[in-house]
Amino acid sequence: MRRRGVSKTAAIVAAIVVIIIIIAGVWYYTSQQPTPISSPTGPVYADTIVIGTTDRVSDLDPASAYDFFTWEVLSNIGMGPFVYEPKTLELKPGIIESYEVKENGKVYILHLRKDLKFADGSPCTAETLKWSIDRVAKIEGDPSWFVLDFVESTEVIDDYTLKITLQNPISFFPAILAVPTYFPVSPNAYPFDEISPDNTAGSVGPYMITKWVRDQQLVLEANPHFFGEPPKTPKVVIKFYSTSTALRMALESGEIDIAWRTLSPTDIEALKGKGEFTVYEAPSSYIRYIVFNTNIPPLDNPLVRKALAAALNRQEIVEKVFLGTAEPLYSLVPNGMWSHIDIFKDKYGDGNLELAKQLLKQAGYSEENKLKVELWYTPEHYGDTEADVAALIKEAWEATGMVEVTVKSAEWSTYLQYTREGSLMITLYGWYPDYLDPDDYLYPFLHTGSNRWLGNPYSDPEMDELLDQAQVEMDQSKRETLYKQVQEKLAEDVPIVPIFQGKLYLVAKKNVHGIVLDQLMLLRYYLIYKEVSTAEAILPLDSIVATVMNMLIMVPVSVIERIKVN
Amino acid sequence: MTSLRVYIITRALLTIPMIFILLTLVFVIMRILPGNPVLAIVGMKATPELIESLEKQLGLDKPWWVQYIDYISNLLRGDLGRSMIWGRRPVIAEIMDRFPATVELTIGGFIVSVILGLVTGVIAGVKPGGKIDATMRIYSIVVYTLFIPLIGMILQYIFGVQLKLFPVGGRIDPLVTPEHITGLYVLDAILTLNFPALISALKHLVLPSFTLGLVLSGVYTRLVRSSLIEVLSQDFIRACRSRGLSERVILYKHALKNALVPILTMMGLQFALLLAGAVLTETTFSWPGMGTFLMERIAYRDFTTVQGTIVFYAVFVALISLVVDVVYAYVDPRIRY
Repeated sequence: MRRRGVSKTAAIVAAIVVIIIIIAGVWYYTSQQPTPISSPTGPVYADTIVIGTTDRVSDLDPASAYDFFTWEVLSNIGMGPFVYEPKTLELKPGIIESYEVKENGKVYILHLRKDLKFADGSPCTAETLKWSIDRVAKIEGDPSWFVLDFVESTEVIDDYTLKITLQNPISFFPAILAVPTYFPVSPNAYPFDEISPDNTAGSVGPYMITKWVRDQQLVLEANPHFFGEPPKTPKVVIKFYSTSTALRMALESGEIDIAWRTLSPTDIEALKGKGEFTVYEAPSSYIRYIVFNTNIPPLDNPLVRKALAAALNRQEIVEKVFLGTAEPLYSLVPNGMWSHIDIFKDKYGDGNLELAKQLLKQAGYSEENKLKVELWYTPEHYGDTEADVAALIKEAWEATGMVEVTVKSAEWSTYLQYTREGSLMITLYGWYPDYLDPDDYLYPFLHTGSNRWLGNPYSDPEMDELLDQAQVEMDQSKRETLYKQVQEKLAEDVPIVPIFQGKLYLVAKKNVHGIVLDQLMLLRYYLIYKEVSTAEAILPLDSIVATVMNMLIMVPVSVIERIKVN
Repeated sequence: MTSLRVYIITRALLTIPMIFILLTLVFVIMRILPGNPVLAIVGMKATPELIESLEKQLGLDKPWWVQYIDYISNLLRGDLGRSMIWGRRPVIAEIMDRFPATVELTIGGFIVSVILGLVTGVIAGVKPGGKIDATMRIYSIVVYTLFIPLIGMILQYIFGVQLKLFPVGGRIDPLVTPEHITGLYVLDAILTLNFPALISALKHLVLPSFTLGLVLSGVYTRLVRSSLIEVLSQDFIRACRSRGLSERVILYKHALKNALVPILTMMGLQFALLLAGAVLTETTFSWPGMGTFLMERIAYRDFTTVQGTIVFYAVFVALISLVVDVVYAYVDPRIRY
C-alpha cells in the first residue's frame, strides 16, 4: 500500500507562508508600538512605569476616601489649594495663585488659578471648589470632619475667588487645605449627595485614570489639561498584591519596576543585598505608642506609669522586631517635625531598669508584691510583627522583677470597641497623620474629649489650655514654645508612651529615578521616570506570539468577510 | 412529568430551606462576634457623632430581629443589600467584580486536578500492587497534604523569579485587558479575538491553577484507581479479553468509561472544595477573587456583604451539585429517579 504523505512542494509552500506570517506579524507589532520617549542625543525613557503595592484603593472619591493609598492616587490625579513641596514639605500654593488671611485667621480668601481644567476639559472655578467642599459636608463621609470641624461657610466672590470662613481661627488651616478632601471634583461627573466609589473622572492633577478594575488594576495617563509641568512618565500602572512576599517576588521577577508599601523588614533586608535594585529609605510620619488608661488602677498612679515608661526598651524593639526599619521615638511629635523634643529620653532614658525599680518601690511594689498589668494588642492591623512587639514590652517590664504582665489580644474591630468603652488597661496603637502639624500628634490624644476614641484615658485642664492656645496662635515660634510645654507635661503625666517611628521603604529597579520619599508618605508618580536600554527595546516573545496568532486568525476572517461583502 | 423532572424540582425546593438555615446561622454568628462594623469602617479617629450617624444609616441601631426581618424581606425581593464599608456599593456588584476571577481559577484548578488525577489514577489502577501503583498512591497522599501557600511560593520562585516564565501574581497585564463580556478573561479574550490578552490571561492562570489542581488531584488519583481496579475485574472485561480485544482498547474504550461514572459525583463535590481551596491560592497569587474578598469583609464585620456572599455561594454550589446529579443520571443508565 502506498503511504500518503505531504508532498515536498506543499511543505515548502507551507513553510514560506508561516515565515511570511511571522515577519508580517513582527512588522505589524512594531508598527503598533509607541516610541519610547527620547531626545536625539539623550537617554531613552520608558513611557510606562509599573508600581506594585499591597495597599488597596477604597473609594475614588475625595468626599469618602480616608486612607493613605487612596490619598496617594488622588494626589496624583488631583490637587488642592495647597501642596507640599517635595522633600522640604513646605506648603506652597497648589490650584491657587495666592491667598489672604483675614480677621486674625478666621477668614481665608483663595485666589484660584485661571487655567484649571478637569481631565474632560471642563473648567474648574471658585464655584466648582465651593461645590466640592459643600459636597464633602453634605455627604458626611469618613473625612468630612476636615470640613465640618473647621469650616463655617464658603462664599464665591467671583469666578476665581473663594472666601472660606472658619468656625474659629486655625493656624494650620493651609495644611488642612492640602488634604485630598479639599480637591475639586467636576459637578458633571460626581453626584452632590452621594459617594461615587468607582468614579474615574478625576480632578485637575497631573494624571487621569484610564483604566480601573477594583483590586485588580489601575492605569493612569498624563492629563492633557494639567496646568503644570507634564509628568515625567506618561503612563503609570498600579498592580495589587496580597502579601509582602508576593510583592517582593513580583519585583524580582521583573513584573514591576517599583515595590512600594509594604515590604516586610525581612524582605527589605534581603533586597538590600541585591545589586539590581535600589532601596530607598526615609523617615515616615507614622508613629507607634502605648496608651495607659489612667482611669483603671493601678495605672491611675503616675509613679506606675513613669516606671513602665522608664523600663521600656525601644532600641531592642526596633532592632529585634523591625531589623532597624524603624527608629526609637521619645515624644508623640515625630522626629524631624518642628517642636519635637526627645523628652522621654531626657526624663527616663531607654530600658532604664534602675529608675523603673526605684519608681515602683515608691509606688509600693516589690519583687514579692508585684505590679500586675494587662497589655493588649491587635494581631493583624499593624502587621504580623505586633505579637513580637507586645512580647518585648512584656519582657522589658518584667526585667524589673517587680512587674507581672499578662498579654492579651483582640481582633481589630473588637479591639477598637473595647478601647472606646475604656475597658482595656494598656493598649498598643499607631497613628498616621491627617495633616503635617504637631497639633495632629497631640490634640487628639491629650485634649479632654478628643481622646474619646481611646476611652478618655486622660484629662487635664492645664494641658487643654496649652493645646487650645497653640491651635489659634498664628505666630509659629510661639506655637513651638507651647508644643514643647505640652510635650514636657506629657512626659510628666505619662498617659501615653511613644515607642517608635516608622521608616518608609521603597525598592525600585536600578534604572528608575525621580523617587521622592518624605514624611507626607505619598509617592508622587509624576516625578518618577525610568531609563531604558536598547536591550529592553527588544520585542517580548509574548507580543510576537500574540501577533502571529492574530494574523493566523484575523487574516482568514477578514478574507472571508470581504468575500461575503463582494 | 418524568421522574427526573420531579427529582430536579424537589432538589431545587430543598435548596431553599438549606439556604435559609445557612443565612440565619451566618446572621446570628456575625452578630454574636464582638466588634462593631462601624468602628472597623471608620477606624479609631471617628467622632461619636459620626459613628451614631453611620449606625443609623446602616440600620444597625435597630433591634437584631428587625434587622433580620428587613434582610430576609429584601432578599426575597432579590436584593442582597449594600456593602457597609467604603462606597457602600450593592453587594451583588461587589460579588460580580470578584466572582469571575474565582470561577476562572476554579475551572483552571479543576482541569488540572482532573487531568493529573486521571493520569496518575490510571497508571496506578492498571497494574495494582506494583511499584508504580505504590508510587502513585504515595503521590496521592503527599499532594493532598501539601500546604497551598508553600507549594505556591516554591512555584512562584522557580517559574516566576528564576525562570521568569510566568507572572507571580494578578490575573492579567493591565495594559491588555480584554473588553468586559463575561468577566472571565480567557473567555473574553477569545470572544473578542484579543490575543495579547489571551496569552497574558493564560500565563497568569498557569501557576495558581497548577497549585490548586495539584493539591486536589490526589483525591482523583485514589478514586480513579479504585474504580478502575473494580471495573477491570468485572465479567464484561473478561468477555472483551476473550474476544481478543487489545488491552489498550479494553482500558480506554470499555474500562475507563465505566470507571469514570462514580467520579462524576466527586467532581461536583470537588468543585465546592475548589472554591474553598481558592481562598489560600488567591492570597498566595494575589488573585482578586471571592476568597480574599470574603476574608477581608469578615475582618471588617461587613455583615451584609458576608451574608450576601454566603447566600450566593450556597446557591452556586447547590446548582453545581444539582447539575452533576442530572449529568450522572444521564451518563449511567442504571440510575433512575
